Amino acid sequence: MKKFKMFLLLFVLMSAVFTGSNSLYAASKSITITGSTTVLPIAQMAAEAFMDIHEDISVSVRGGGSGVGIAALIDGRADIADASRPIKTKEIMLAREKGVDPYANVVARDGLAIVVHPDVPVDSISIEDLKKIFTGEIENWKDLGGPDKAIVTISRDYSSGTFEVFKELVLEGAKVSDGALMLASNKAVATTVSITPYSIGYIGLGYLSDEVKALKVDGVVASEETVRKGEYKLARPLFMYTNGEPSGIIKTFMDFVFSPQGQGIAMEVGFVPVK
Amino acid sequence: MRRFWYLVCLKLLTVAPASLIGGETKVSMVLWNRYTAEVSGGEINESAFSLERGYFRVEPMFNDKIKGRFNIDLFSDDAALDGAGLKLKYAYLDFSEVLPIPESKISVGLIKHYFGTVYDWEYISIEKALEDKEGVASSTDYGFALYGYIPNGYGEYAISVLNGEGYKKIGDDLDKEPEIAANLRVILIPGITIGGSVLYENDGNDRFAYAGVGHFSKGPFELWCEYLVSDMSDVTSNGFMVMPIIKLKGMTGIDVDLRGRFDMWDGNADVDDDGYMTITAGINWNIVRNEKGAPTVFLQLEGERTIYQDNALSDIDKLMAQIQWKFSNVF
Repeated sequence: MKKFKMFLLLFVLMSAVFTGSNSLYAASKSITITGSTTVLPIAQMAAEAFMDIHEDISVSVRGGGSGVGIAALIDGRADIADASRPIKTKEIMLAREKGVDPYANVVARDGLAIVVHPDVPVDSISIEDLKKIFTGEIENWKDLGGPDKAIVTISRDYSSGTFEVFKELVLEGAKVSDGALMLASNKAVATTVSITPYSIGYIGLGYLSDEVKALKVDGVVASEETVRKGEYKLARPLFMYTNGEPSGIIKTFMDFVFSPQGQGIAMEVGFVPVK
Repeated sequence: MRRFWYLVCLKLLTVAPASLIGGETKVSMVLWNRYTAEVSGGEINESAFSLERGYFRVEPMFNDKIKGRFNIDLFSDDAALDGAGLKLKYAYLDFSEVLPIPESKISVGLIKHYFGTVYDWEYISIEKALEDKEGVASSTDYGFALYGYIPNGYGEYAISVLNGEGYKKIGDDLDKEPEIAANLRVILIPGITIGGSVLYENDGNDRFAYAGVGHFSKGPFELWCEYLVSDMSDVTSNGFMVMPIIKLKGMTGIDVDLRGRFDMWDGNADVDDDGYMTITAGINWNIVRNEKGAPTVFLQLEGERTIYQDNALSDIDKLMAQIQWKFSNVF
């Protein structure tokens, strides 16, 4: 009986601490956003425009990758996790264990554009050939009707959501060839492809520029229109995960992202609006 | 039943050749440098530095459906040649989606022992999980398990068939009958996890063990609870563990966790004065975290007092300081 009383006392004490201190931990007038570098341009521009309207709320935005963002949401280090892939069941379970209930806000849609150095004289590629290039089965442009030049393969790093989507849609789980350069952001891939002759890589639509040449995939050009119509096969939703349905200042921010101005920002940085 | 396992084996054999495709491999190390001081009855029993654990871990991902984990433990050991011992801790393959159950996998080899808290014990306190400490269930064992997540993150489950004697025993130390274990954890409300485990083995006598687990988390506060019963022949042992944790970083900016722990164990419920209780208090200072927020260098300080019911036994006071460091790379 003594054991039971001691156990009960401990439990009651902990419960009291739990309920009493919650407000101490939660209250603040700032929002932290962390995660996918694909979603980063939307988050950054939306944060700047949002802070112009709501001067009393500060929004800090960081990249790091989808996995990093979701881990930060789970640990309570971020209020919003940017992700270019859906959250995994294991991550949902870890989150729920820690009292976090991940809620998916689809803020835009994106296409994974296949880009090459502007001098590569190839205009279109199939998903099957893409898989062969990135797994090292095809190593020379001549196998694709191009010049007799070695292909320089540039990929995103393993922890990025963009890589996970590419792995699912193109590689079907196969390993990227050991010779591929693994880079940490969309911008790094775009820049490296633009300055490396005979290179190929993949980036979010928002990172397309005149510096690189986008290939048609299975005969379809990567664009907002083809992604919206569902014609472009390498397409994906982009997420901002929150702890539960947004409320308070997080809701104010998410409402802004879904507003005509926020969706205009998504379009401005090259993605497809969802509203 | 035989037909079922035949089909499972057939499926494993058809999935296995895909491993030849090859995938990335994670290599990591986890090291624990520890100082321990133990005092009992006014005498110093121990005052020593040691490498308590040195995990060298290789985790190959052959493809999306087959992953492996191989883990050896290198540690200070005065009974071993030149003061260092070696233990095999994990050596298993995970096969996903072998059975038509979403988010499930089959682990084969020297696998996690899905029982109580021992299989995901993260050593928030330096001391082991209660079932490990009391020899009720080892952290790993040889066998196979069906493990999976309940859809939408509502929990996890496992059913295992194991040697039953734990990873340290093999050959003549084993009985002929396997252990069968089942584990379930459910999270109906975010922040509240409840679960239970049961294991059965017959080594001439029936042996049952049961564990009830609760984990509560809200903001910077966490609480682990476990109630454990071991029923072997005519001896029933039972006890519990309660471990509250407070993370101070959100309140103070300092990445320090305060923690307590209370263990109570009765070795034989029919015998008086054979139990003990241990009260532990400690801090974890997370010095370096990786990009995903997991601590990679952290210092643990812990003081514990064990009080025996038997008045003839002196209380034991233990002070431990441990620096734990981890590093990894993906190839």
